[in-house]
Amino acid sequence: MTAKKRKITIAKAMAEAIAHEMRADPGVLVMGEDIAALGGVFGNTRGLLDEFGSERVRDTPISETAFIGAAVGMAAAGMKPVVELMFVDFFGVCMDAIYNLAAKQSYFSGGNVTCPMVLMTSVGGGYGDAGQHSQTLFATFGHLPGLKVVIPSNAYDAKGMMIAAIRDPNPVVFMFHKALQGMGWLGTVQSSVVDVPDEAFEIELGKAAVVRAGRDITIAGLGHTVHLAMDAARELAKAGVEAEVIDLRSVAPIDRATILASVSRTRAFLSVDDDYMSYGVGAELVATVAEAVALKARPQRISYPDIPVPFAPEMEHAVLPSADKIIAAVQSILGEK
Amino acid sequence: MSNVIIPANLWEEDLEGAVSIWFFEEGDNVSEGDTLCEIMVEKSTFEVEAPAAGVLRILVQVEVPVKKGDAIAHIG
Amino acid sequence: MSQENSQRLWMFKTMVVSREFELAIKAAYLEGKQPVFNMAKGPIPGEMHLSNGQEPCAVGVCAHLRPTDAVTSTHRPHHVAIAKGVDIGRMAAEIFGRQEGLSGGRGGHMHLFDAAVNFCCSGIIAQGMGPAVGAAMAARLAGRDDVAVSFIGEGAANQGAFHEALNLAAVWKAPVVFVIEDNAWGISVAKRASTAVSDNSARAASYGIPGVHIPGNDPDLIWEEAGKAIDRARKGGGPTLVEIETVRLEGHFMGDAEGYRPAEEMAGLAQRDAILIYRARLEKEGVAQDVLDDLEHQARQEVTAAIAFARAGKAPTAAQALEKVFA
Repeated sequence: MTAKKRKITIAKAMAEAIAHEMRADPGVLVMGEDIAALGGVFGNTRGLLDEFGSERVRDTPISETAFIGAAVGMAAAGMKPVVELMFVDFFGVCMDAIYNLAAKQSYFSGGNVTCPMVLMTSVGGGYGDAGQHSQTLFATFGHLPGLKVVIPSNAYDAKGMMIAAIRDPNPVVFMFHKALQGMGWLGTVQSSVVDVPDEAFEIELGKAAVVRAGRDITIAGLGHTVHLAMDAARELAKAGVEAEVIDLRSVAPIDRATILASVSRTRAFLSVDDDYMSYGVGAELVATVAEAVALKARPQRISYPDIPVPFAPEMEHAVLPSADKIIAAVQSILGEK
Repeated sequence: MSNVIIPANLWEEDLEGAVSIWFFEEGDNVSEGDTLCEIMVEKSTFEVEAPAAGVLRILVQVEVPVKKGDAIAHIG
Repeated sequence: MSQENSQRLWMFKTMVVSREFELAIKAAYLEGKQPVFNMAKGPIPGEMHLSNGQEPCAVGVCAHLRPTDAVTSTHRPHHVAIAKGVDIGRMAAEIFGRQEGLSGGRGGHMHLFDAAVNFCCSGIIAQGMGPAVGAAMAARLAGRDDVAVSFIGEGAANQGAFHEALNLAAVWKAPVVFVIEDNAWGISVAKRASTAVSDNSARAASYGIPGVHIPGNDPDLIWEEAGKAIDRARKGGGPTLVEIETVRLEGHFMGDAEGYRPAEEMAGLAQRDAILIYRARLEKEGVAQDVLDDLEHQARQEVTAAIAFARAGKAPTAAQALEKVFA
């Protein structure tokens, strides 16, 4: 008899993961804006207040630098705070606590004081939320030493990675993409809603996943762009082009080994992400590949242009990565003489 | 075979909703009590559970308007 | 007609323009978002934060302001923009994401800039306060008696920028007025659950500046107290913190089911509608019904024209997305 299917959204997977860990470890608590009674604007803490009460599930004032700083202090004292920054775009008001404190606590203390906190934060646009509510900022966070930065592309990974993140003695920035979250009012990419086991399980942070095997070209994506790459791969297969799709899962540390193992076979590479182009994920992956592998064609990166996210959908959708752009890029890479 | 009907008391007013997410695919085995889908009515979400066990046949796709009392799937 | 009376009629009409505008935007916003409320769909995608109920805050303050006075506002900006004199056609076009909009569709509803009347707004809580201090100082350094006003919500009073801006404004004696529109809710969290003091106006004392608490969402009371604060600033008396009790008639954002808001509070909202209360007061004090009817009619016509202008606008092109990043 096959195992029972149970499909859930990334939102539910995150809430389940946090609940598992809160049951297992009294040192885990969760805090942020609207995460208690409301269950999170993005549904990722639903049910937690009812089960664990208000001492461990705390709505905070709009005081990011104070409560994220407080999380750093709790972590130093041996607790395991899970704290939410509602939109990654809000990091401007609290970045010191993240990149100067959380990220450097282990280093400055010679490993004697760790920072086992999870900072969960929503990323991504494509639904008209404009320049201050639509960014992904992978490179901004990935660039700063001392932070693990991860993003699941589906609910199974979300649950395993959240549990791993809470158990990790290091600060983990756990990004969740709004297009994949499972909120009806945002629209959700259906392929992010997948079977997820009831029980707790971990997915090792810092490991990418090969989500589609292929011989002709390696396409690396993360979060939403994994789904775009899969859509493109299905189309390309009709024309006999087999793309290998890698879900990066982790911006920091980057799983260079998995990427290089793939590109060493395919010898063609395309990176796809929805963060600003310059100094971005694509830049980092192309450099990694170019340093190590003799490619059969020049690599390409599809990213967001270096502009603030525009509001009007005619502009926003024109600049976002898409399956069509991926297909065109693959054809141009493989068509090179 | 059982029909999966949107309960008459699932939401208050006589508003139309629509399935926003199906948690199973056509042909999947479901058990009684499984959460089959989410329905959005204006700004609220509601869940519909399987009334019986069996093979799921979906009648209504996402974003198609539905009312309370509509059959949205069969379980056979 | 006395100056005060003409001000009051201006406030009444402007509140009606503001409300009619929000109702029209709400209707347009909900197009394409039924039966499933998917924020990305329809002629106005994204978030929408409406100001229904908070109109007195905008008119009571902006009645005292000139086009050369600067105003910064928040993610809930429309009533303030309208009261400040922002061109409502170009504002509507911006909200609809048209080329004719204030920024050609690049900013949308939370990022409205009108240089002609020195109005701007942005979506990150409390971050408009520093720029208001700066605008005030620019006026002072240029020898003008223009002032700046920063509109914020009560949730912003718990954000670091609030405290820094108040202190800096006090140290510099900047001609700035900080106006808190206290609607008692920060999304789902009630003010009393997030704020260590019951009145944020008391926090002014920490910075050595005057603080005023105005109850009742009353345009006339707001007009009086805001007038004193703005006058104080113009005459070199430095900053004031003005806290206004107001009412949010809609959800935090369109799509907010407001399950967190007590049923009794929801049921009582219609009676707290400041426009109806103000109209009744004006009538009681002798203003003729047909004068008020006429103002309402004009208001509706202006809004209808603005929305029509917006809908008739041109969609921006992909190439335009890449423009205006740098001057």
